[in-house]
Amino acid sequence: MTSKDKDRTPHSSSASPKGEGSESDVHVLGDEIRPGPAVSSLATKAAGVAVLGLGASVVLGMLENDGFRRFSYAYLTAYMWGLAIGLGALFWVTLQHLVNAKWSIVLRRVGEILAGTAPVLGVLALPIVIPAFLGHDILYPWANHDRVHADHLLHHKAPYLNPTFFLIRFVVYFAFFTLLGRFFLKQSLAQDKSGGVEIAKRMQRVAGPAMILFGLALTFCAIDLLMSLEPSWFSTIFGVYYFASCVLAANSCLALAAMWLHKQGRLTRSITVEHLHDLGKMMFAFTVFWAYIGFSQFMLIWYANVPEETFWYKERFAGDWATVSTALLVLHFVVPFFGMLSRHVKRHKKALAFWAFWSLAVVYLDMYWLVMPAFGAEGLPFGPIEIGALVGIAGAVMAAAAFGARKVKNLIPVKDPRLPASLAFENI
Amino acid sequence: MSDEHKKESAAAEKKAPLHGLLAEYETPWQLLEAAKKVRDAKYERWDTFTPFPIHGIERAMGIRMTALPWFVLAAGLTGLTTAILLQWWTNAVDYPWIVSGKPFWSIAANVPIMFELTVLFSGITTLVGMLMLNGLPLPSHPLDLKERFARATNDRFFLLIQASDPKFDEVRTRALLDETRPVVLDEVLEDRVTSDRMPRGIIYAIIVLATAGAIPLALAAKARFTKSRDTRLHIIQDMDAQPKYKAQRQNPVFADLRAHRPDVEGTVAVGELRDDDHFYTGKVNGDYARTFPSQVALTDATMERGRERFGIYCAPCHGLAGDGDGMIAKRAEYLASTGRGRGMGWVPPTNLNQDYLRQQPVGQLFESITNGVRNMPAYGPQISTEDRWAIVMYLRALQHKSAAK
Ligand code: HEC
Repeated sequence: MTSKDKDRTPHSSSASPKGEGSESDVHVLGDEIRPGPAVSSLATKAAGVAVLGLGASVVLGMLENDGFRRFSYAYLTAYMWGLAIGLGALFWVTLQHLVNAKWSIVLRRVGEILAGTAPVLGVLALPIVIPAFLGHDILYPWANHDRVHADHLLHHKAPYLNPTFFLIRFVVYFAFFTLLGRFFLKQSLAQDKSGGVEIAKRMQRVAGPAMILFGLALTFCAIDLLMSLEPSWFSTIFGVYYFASCVLAANSCLALAAMWLHKQGRLTRSITVEHLHDLGKMMFAFTVFWAYIGFSQFMLIWYANVPEETFWYKERFAGDWATVSTALLVLHFVVPFFGMLSRHVKRHKKALAFWAFWSLAVVYLDMYWLVMPAFGAEGLPFGPIEIGALVGIAGAVMAAAAFGARKVKNLIPVKDPRLPASLAFENI
Repeated sequence: MSDEHKKESAAAEKKAPLHGLLAEYETPWQLLEAAKKVRDAKYERWDTFTPFPIHGIERAMGIRMTALPWFVLAAGLTGLTTAILLQWWTNAVDYPWIVSGKPFWSIAANVPIMFELTVLFSGITTLVGMLMLNGLPLPSHPLDLKERFARATNDRFFLLIQASDPKFDEVRTRALLDETRPVVLDEVLEDRVTSDRMPRGIIYAIIVLATAGAIPLALAAKARFTKSRDTRLHIIQDMDAQPKYKAQRQNPVFADLRAHRPDVEGTVAVGELRDDDHFYTGKVNGDYARTFPSQVALTDATMERGRERFGIYCAPCHGLAGDGDGMIAKRAEYLASTGRGRGMGWVPPTNLNQDYLRQQPVGQLFESITNGVRNMPAYGPQISTEDRWAIVMYLRALQHKSAAK
């Protein structure tokens, strides 16, 4: 079937699907597509939550009197969770352009706004990056010159894992994430004004190389920020493992954002249950993908049984961490697998919202499982410091997205030539 | 006149019974409207035909959700269970065999097969279930005889109500379809032309393929149940047969028939001259040497080398400080204490910081490493001579250190 046929096929909404994506089309839809005051009030409220959460976490962290160690671990856990949302959204937007997706056009602006949080995420990383750059080994043992000197392996890895190069890489990653996010948003907004196929084509052309660079940047970013917490450990699949969380988190957020906009009376006709269904499919798919990658990583290490690699799992299978590991398997895979299997669940707003929240929660659990064992405390450190950091980061990401949304005129790319196809989209 | 048309008229002549009424539309919208009408009139045996998928047609036709997902779920779970049972039976029950020191039956190793069989069973069920629920394959259909109907693959949209539908009534059904304003409303007669029998060619092909498919099985069965003097069929040669002589084989060229040629009497290979007893055996005039041989320099470098080698070769049993508490010793103790090491004989590694060992001549320590001692295996073949001396030197340092405590 050609795309032309598809555009011509009838659909149940009242809009004529034959238009060329002119603004009048959207008026025919009678849909509210401006951000409106709810977004503004969300922005300020979320910013307030961010300040309160992070503030509380910092103050409590100070009271720990451990040179901000506990706080740093709690913060890194929450940060990697937030970063997963931003990077996942950036991937999502790039992917839609790369494959010339039609179904997702009505969601694309929301994705672009979420992806636009990259610069804020870059700033939020500073409490992690700056101490490492200054040679403090609060989080990363390799940052400490003396420890590197005393450890043969760290010494070997020093040409890569050293404070200066770490900072340089960090700047490169986030410059790239920021530029890419801005590029897509800018072009997309320009398309709102001028319309036409040319801009869509340009974004598609950029998406190919951008996807390759994104894959590399994400992989190394995950290696630097997460894997190097225990620098003698290594897993070549680690970047993909983090990527799985990114995509899961971003699709969950997109679904939640769409439903929130519906509640505010926005995009109620443009984003239909069909689009939510597709987001649900992505959430389901990446729940499975996460398990697949997680198991691939585990099985090779388990089978080879080489001490350099197994110690990482040994930490996580000992004591209370064994409970977390089991919980991760059950809550991040088994339960949501059966929970999201049915199409009825994905087409039921409340159910989908439940699983979207669930997915975001288990992505946090995963980050906790990746980061906290390196903290090396007895038991499972979880308390107000961790909660504060998580609430703070969640607020910050939300605020960044809402401030971004406030700046755009339309919440859907009104002149994208594929918009009619997206509006008329139906799952068979 | 085309073949189909001839057949069509021939069928009509034979007064074939009515198969159904066929309405033809020019646009998908008309078809959708018509479908809704037929749906609302509660017909059951009817269908629509279009050149491309039309979104919303399922709803317009009132098609209920298929039961296929449930079959697939059941098949997936069956695949999962099959995989678990298969691996449990083969690995843990029927043919227990230790692989890589893993337990006979370990779930982690089984997951890939569990995954594969789940996907395989689900996939096959999806395909076969879809075909069966759709009544496929359908080699012939009365509509095949309608020439107009060919346009269903090009630019026309059709709706067929079968005469076998309980609600079907020639007059009323025709009226209903008329209301939907088709371009053509036509009768479809039962197919009395096409033979019900499967074409011969297909039957023969199936027989030939099935027979051919059975040949390998038959050969394998024959090989299992008969005895033969022939060597086995060697289908894949790899590099199994090479025109060369291997050690321990015959070679008729030489009088002693040995393919492996012994060294000529009195030759010594480069680096194999071992005429220094002190260095190579740790003995001087038949007694254990109390000093290090001259080749072993008492330097930091030697000591560091000894530390490293000791860590690799000795510490796993004797512990990093030589106290006899290496990982292996600890593990064995743990197994014994939890009762899991039942039936396991175990001589613990000696504590190397005991007085009798402190007083042992260095030559004797060297000898213990080289040839092993009682239950401890020999490490001579694995560790070079220099390194063995370096280990002895480091061991002496360890002993001094513990004595000083
Ligand atoms: C596989 C475990 C294992 C390793 C590896 C091992 N040993 Fe031992 N070693 C033993 C055991 C067991 C004994 C005690 C044997 C017995 O009493 O039957 C022993 C005994 C000894 C003794 C005491 C000999 C005596 O005269 O009583 C010395 C010395 C010694 N080992 C040195 C070494 C050194 C040096 C190395 C490293 C090159 C080494 N061992 C590696 C298991 C090991």
